[in-house]
Amino acid sequence: MRRILMALGMTAVMLSAQAPPPYTRTLETYTVPDVVLVNQDGTKVKLKGLLDSGEPIILDFIFGTCTTICPVLSAGYANLQAKLPPGGPKIHLVSISIDPENDTPKVMRDYLKRYRAKPGWDFLTGRREDIDKAMNAFNAYIPNKMSHYPLTLIRDPKTGKWIRIFGLMSSSEFMAECRKAGLL
Amino acid sequence: MSGRRERSPFLSLLAPLLGMLLLTLPATAQVKPPAAAAGPTAEQTLALGERMYRQGILPSGEPMSSIVSGDVQVAGTSFSCVSCHLRGGLGSWEGGIVTLPTNAARLSIPRYWKFPNLSLEERKELKLQNPAARPAYTNETLAHLIRTGRDPGGTDMHPVMPRYYLSDPDMAILLSYLGTLSAKHSPGVIGDTLHFATVITPEVSEDDQQAMLVPIKNYVQRHNQFSSGFGNRMYLGVGGNEMSGAYRKMALSVWRLQGAPDTWGRQLEAFLAKDPVFAMLGGISYGDWKPIHDFCERTQLPCLFPVTDLPVVSDTDWYTQYFSKGYYQEGQAAARYLNGLDDPAAARKVLQLVQDTPQGRALALGFREAWAELGRSPIKELPLPPEGALDVNGLAAILSQEKPSTVLLWTGDSAYPALDALLRKGSLLVNAFLSGRLLGARVTSLPEHLWSRVWITYPYREPQLEPKFSAYADTLLAGLTTRHPETRISTRTYAMVQVLRQALMDMDRHFYQDNLLDRIGMQRDQFLPDYLRLSFGPGQRYASKGCYIMQVGLSPAPKVAPGPAPQVKPVQVPVLLRKSEWVIH
Repeated sequence: MRRILMALGMTAVMLSAQAPPPYTRTLETYTVPDVVLVNQDGTKVKLKGLLDSGEPIILDFIFGTCTTICPVLSAGYANLQAKLPPGGPKIHLVSISIDPENDTPKVMRDYLKRYRAKPGWDFLTGRREDIDKAMNAFNAYIPNKMSHYPLTLIRDPKTGKWIRIFGLMSSSEFMAECRKAGLL
Repeated sequence: MSGRRERSPFLSLLAPLLGMLLLTLPATAQVKPPAAAAGPTAEQTLALGERMYRQGILPSGEPMSSIVSGDVQVAGTSFSCVSCHLRGGLGSWEGGIVTLPTNAARLSIPRYWKFPNLSLEERKELKLQNPAARPAYTNETLAHLIRTGRDPGGTDMHPVMPRYYLSDPDMAILLSYLGTLSAKHSPGVIGDTLHFATVITPEVSEDDQQAMLVPIKNYVQRHNQFSSGFGNRMYLGVGGNEMSGAYRKMALSVWRLQGAPDTWGRQLEAFLAKDPVFAMLGGISYGDWKPIHDFCERTQLPCLFPVTDLPVVSDTDWYTQYFSKGYYQEGQAAARYLNGLDDPAAARKVLQLVQDTPQGRALALGFREAWAELGRSPIKELPLPPEGALDVNGLAAILSQEKPSTVLLWTGDSAYPALDALLRKGSLLVNAFLSGRLLGARVTSLPEHLWSRVWITYPYREPQLEPKFSAYADTLLAGLTTRHPETRISTRTYAMVQVLRQALMDMDRHFYQDNLLDRIGMQRDQFLPDYLRLSFGPGQRYASKGCYIMQVGLSPAPKVAPGPAPQVKPVQVPVLLRKSEWVIH
């Protein structure tokens, strides 16, 4: 009997080890750095102007050859775009590269194409020090791109505050967060 | 198809089923199944399975479809098995998420939480009693996992693992591929030794050969001395047994090529047939690396960081890991810099004057392709003879006729005197780009009146910052009698060794050639001699992505210390001054 209980206990530990932690949600105030980045078309973009424009914004940090987290985050973006009703509210999706040396505009264009991105999803690269400033500004700095973590930032258009979501969301959870933030 | 894959027992069980299933496949697939009458071959089945794994495309030609994170729909063309499990199938670790191995050798045995790399024989010998996290997969349990995310031990995989919608026939094809993926060690793993080779093309001087061979041989010798008695001496515990099982001695063969480049492929195949190796380390050539690159693609033999400035530039080729795109990358940098200048006047009319050499052509190609990618109109290009001093009168006539705002003068030593003469003749020269690598050691000898007009592409770290990085290479240069640091051969070889050392550790005891390249792809950025930064990523094959644009100018005046002025005024000398970022977008 004791062995059976031990086995059951071990199974529970193993299951919990595999089970994903629920995502965490906090409300943050960030100051967008005054840097110029480059989008997938090679156009220079003032980050402050883009993110502080007052339009609904969602931001994440990814890179083109990421193995695990970025594909899931990007699939979330693509699903969100697909679910937005035509003529309905527009949400500007922004991805900032954390591998700016490899992520050239061409690499970013190809990446967006793979995810069937629609207009309104911009992928930004730039000088490493500017990328570092952007990561630091959103408390997302990582020295090694392989150690990055899943982070989605939703800007509340009314207050200008950022909803920081740490972890991976399902599509329905993502939609619910957008609604809660007043984006939908 | 891969020549290194071996059939596992569970593929044999699938074969009759696949024979029936493939008859129903539509003919729209790019990798077409065989005609019904002939029946499917194993190669064709594996090609379809490989495409599912690597490209996320079903045998029908449609994308595979899956769900991640509970309800997020994903098309296989966005990402597929290979994105996380990698090409060798040994998986990855990123951002706290472990992607487990999915190669045949690991799927066909139970998985253990503790000491997962020990073989079943070793576990028995060590009398380990740990329970298995899951039993060995069968076709049924593996299909169940791929569809539901639940393994036969009852553990649910993390929701980032896609749950695939696959029909039985498609599932059978994917399983057939997984049954061959990294099933047995690659060639060159012989007993307790990993066999490597390096390659030297016939025109390379003796000094340059030694500059590459000495550091590699020193490394191999030290590695083998260190590994002597490794298992018994240092690792007596269970964990030690696991680690020592990953440790192998190294052997190095030197393959010297002869004759014309179009015969090198056959020579290399003969070398490989006689002396199977796991990978090529370095290698050196003054000319086009393509014949060796093509051999490596053909035979699926990894080649790590050859000393070449004329690599093959490809987005898709897999087996050669280069330091950079060489001359091509300098041309790219010139295009991006010129495009990004605040003052558009310099980019108004660009003329490429291209010495008819592999180097000149690579520079011009890099500029041309980057210029087009930036949405610019094609520019005029004129060839120059491959050798000899430049014809100044001829150049003056071209400039007078074309009236370019910027000239890309892709030549070597003759560029400086020609530019000097042109300016003295009152030619219309406005701005010029030159290749720092082609100019070599004389790069700072540009006449002073040309300093502000000439941009130099420079694919290395700033010279004044280099010594403290290059000095480390000395640790592998014992026995090298003649040193030519300006060739950067020893320093680049040292850098190759550093990346290799890390990759061998990360590869653990999973000696598959694709896994070696996968592990390099997962390395963090490295700061080694010559290049400002080497960065990696799955499928990234050019580790240095940068190239400075420089101008010649006086070295900055030293800071004056408080106190009496020094009697001897510090001398300011011509140096390269950085005008751009390392990576220009």
